Amino acid sequence: MAKFEGYIEQPRFSCAIGALQSVVAIPKAVPILHSGPGCGDMVAGFFERSKGYAGGDTSPCTNFTERDVVFGGAEKLRKIIKNSYKVLESDLQVVMTGCTGGIVGDDIESVVQEFQNEGKPIVAVDTPGFKCNNYVSHSNVVKAIIDQYVELHEDDNPARSEANTVNLFASLPYQDPFWKGNLREYKRLLEGLGLKVHVLWGPESGGVSEWREIPRANFNILVSPWYGKPIVDHLKIKYGQDYTWFHSIPIGGNETEKFLRQVLDFAVEKKAGIDKKKAEQFIKKEIDAYYEEIDNLATFLLEFRYGLPNHAHIFSDAGYVVGISKFLLHETGVVPKEVYAIDNTPEKYQQDILADLASTSDKKVIPLRFEPDAGKAQNEVRQLSHKGRGIILGSGWDKNLAREKGYDFLSIAVPSPVRLVMTTNYVGFSGGLRLIEDIYFTALQNYS
Amino acid sequence: MNESIRQVAIYGKGGIGKSTTTQNLTAGLAESGKKVMVVGCDPKADSTRLLLGTLAQKTVLDTLREEGDDVELSSILKEGFMGTKCVESGGPEPGVGCAGRGIITSIGLLEQQGAYTDDLDYVFYDVLGDVVCGGFAMPMREGKAKEIYIVASGEMMALYAANNISKGIAKYAGKSGVRLGGIICNSRNVDREKDLLRAFSKELGTQLIYFVPRNNIVQRAEINRKTVIEYDPTSTQADEYRQLAKAIDNNDMFTIPTPMTQERLEHILLEYGLMDSLKDYVI
Repeated sequence: MAKFEGYIEQPRFSCAIGALQSVVAIPKAVPILHSGPGCGDMVAGFFERSKGYAGGDTSPCTNFTERDVVFGGAEKLRKIIKNSYKVLESDLQVVMTGCTGGIVGDDIESVVQEFQNEGKPIVAVDTPGFKCNNYVSHSNVVKAIIDQYVELHEDDNPARSEANTVNLFASLPYQDPFWKGNLREYKRLLEGLGLKVHVLWGPESGGVSEWREIPRANFNILVSPWYGKPIVDHLKIKYGQDYTWFHSIPIGGNETEKFLRQVLDFAVEKKAGIDKKKAEQFIKKEIDAYYEEIDNLATFLLEFRYGLPNHAHIFSDAGYVVGISKFLLHETGVVPKEVYAIDNTPEKYQQDILADLASTSDKKVIPLRFEPDAGKAQNEVRQLSHKGRGIILGSGWDKNLAREKGYDFLSIAVPSPVRLVMTTNYVGFSGGLRLIEDIYFTALQNYS
Repeated sequence: MNESIRQVAIYGKGGIGKSTTTQNLTAGLAESGKKVMVVGCDPKADSTRLLLGTLAQKTVLDTLREEGDDVELSSILKEGFMGTKCVESGGPEPGVGCAGRGIITSIGLLEQQGAYTDDLDYVFYDVLGDVVCGGFAMPMREGKAKEIYIVASGEMMALYAANNISKGIAKYAGKSGVRLGGIICNSRNVDREKDLLRAFSKELGTQLIYFVPRNNIVQRAEINRKTVIEYDPTSTQADEYRQLAKAIDNNDMFTIPTPMTQERLEHILLEYGLMDSLKDYVI
């Protein structure tokens, strides 16, 4: 992770155990927390509508107490796992440690191994909060499932045995509030190219059985500025699956087309057996549909040209910040001004992210700052002044800042108690249209 | 808690004889009419065996494990030789849990339950090994022991450990007011041991408060589950422990230690010929 000193006023991410949401998002997978009783509740509270099948305060939890710290909590964990089998029907169990268990050094692996030896689909991951944040921990959870569960089923799922199948690693469940809709849209788009897609999380995935088939995929797709990269690196070594990497979230016409062409070219190169002509037809159809709506929008934009936001500040993870910036500048005419990547972006990826954003335009420079303390980022924006009406796209915590500045506001990131998101997607052509709808909905609401 | 209780913690390298020394010197204090409580801070729970004449004592943490934190003082506090009060903190089995937290929990429970009664003159904490984490530093934290004695010998590793423990004391000295009362030498009959310990103590900014000579009667008494003072009150070794008790009772030299660098420590060891006498001692 990037280094930072002092305190953080407004982290927009969770600690390592927050990656329990990456388990909650797998249909019928259950996180088992070897932690204090507050961890699950805290994580569920940070994200919205996040309890799923057995998440948050409904997750089995060892409720670590002082007694467990002193004497070790392994026996209690053994008991809670046994009892979980009695009361919860689940396809996969992921045991995750909180800080206390991590410091005490409980050997959770050997407890979990006892159940693995009985043939239970159970894995253990070290996720004490002090270790890393949930962006990083997400990869650790996925790798643990691959190494401790998927690997056991390799005989039935030979590596790279399905030429046109891909694994997609894109949205972080729940950390990306639009993850469910986004994964659905990625799947629809990639299937349009002729690929079979493992999205792995959410209702569009095939649940745990789809996880077992991860090795079968010909290659992997990573859509992310940095998080999730350890997963595709791991799979490359483990199953020889190469990956194509799209660095920011594809939103709207330009970037979605670019994303699809990048995947298409890679699939052809990897001999995925794609009917290229059909794939091209699909892309064209999607593009046409998209621009037809943009055409319809033109009249509206002209009529309201003086009453709409002309610039934006964005607070989100680096993938969204770059993706939305590109989209706003080229496809809505709202100029991104200072934008903030609040995901504690590791230093080694920052230059590439800046270069990706700089490629947006040779005329406009979009100032991007990597700032894990969103409170500090807010203070910077508080001091700034740009001509015209502005809009802030950020978490629910940025609503007051928008009010202070007299800006429009759209909630696009966690934590956000001010917006209900269920299946909305911002990814893809349709995601771009939806983002336009949302921006102008909020603008028109405030129009006077 | 009564401020006049002298709270003393005994530290030192594992196996140096902390428990033996603590129990023999507390026996000496008890014999002279002092009211003493000994708190064993070692998961092995063997810090009060000689005073009690038995190992079969329920530890504070045993009760926590079995009954929760509603500890009955009478079930964990036993009277030993000449009315010494004996408590064992206890701890987890080797290799699991967190013994350091165990000490924190245990001392907290003792305070809660009012074990520190006003009639006490002394509370001794017998702490295992080195100050490896915050838990083992618990007795020297605020409101606990104000005096530390380190048991050492002329052996190199014992002095390494003593120097390291002093770093812990120096760290807590500012906030908690803990001070080093001196080094107790539990002799191993190493060449020039007394000179070496004196020089070491001086460098550490403290004193060699007492030199306990080696005597096999200590082992004999231990086998019989007794302190030397109880086992053979007329022996010269019993007198040595009485003298040690007196030295501690009369001690008025309490300092913030000045731990030395590894280089300086080795230099002192070289100066006193320790290296020559231990040619086969490989670190």
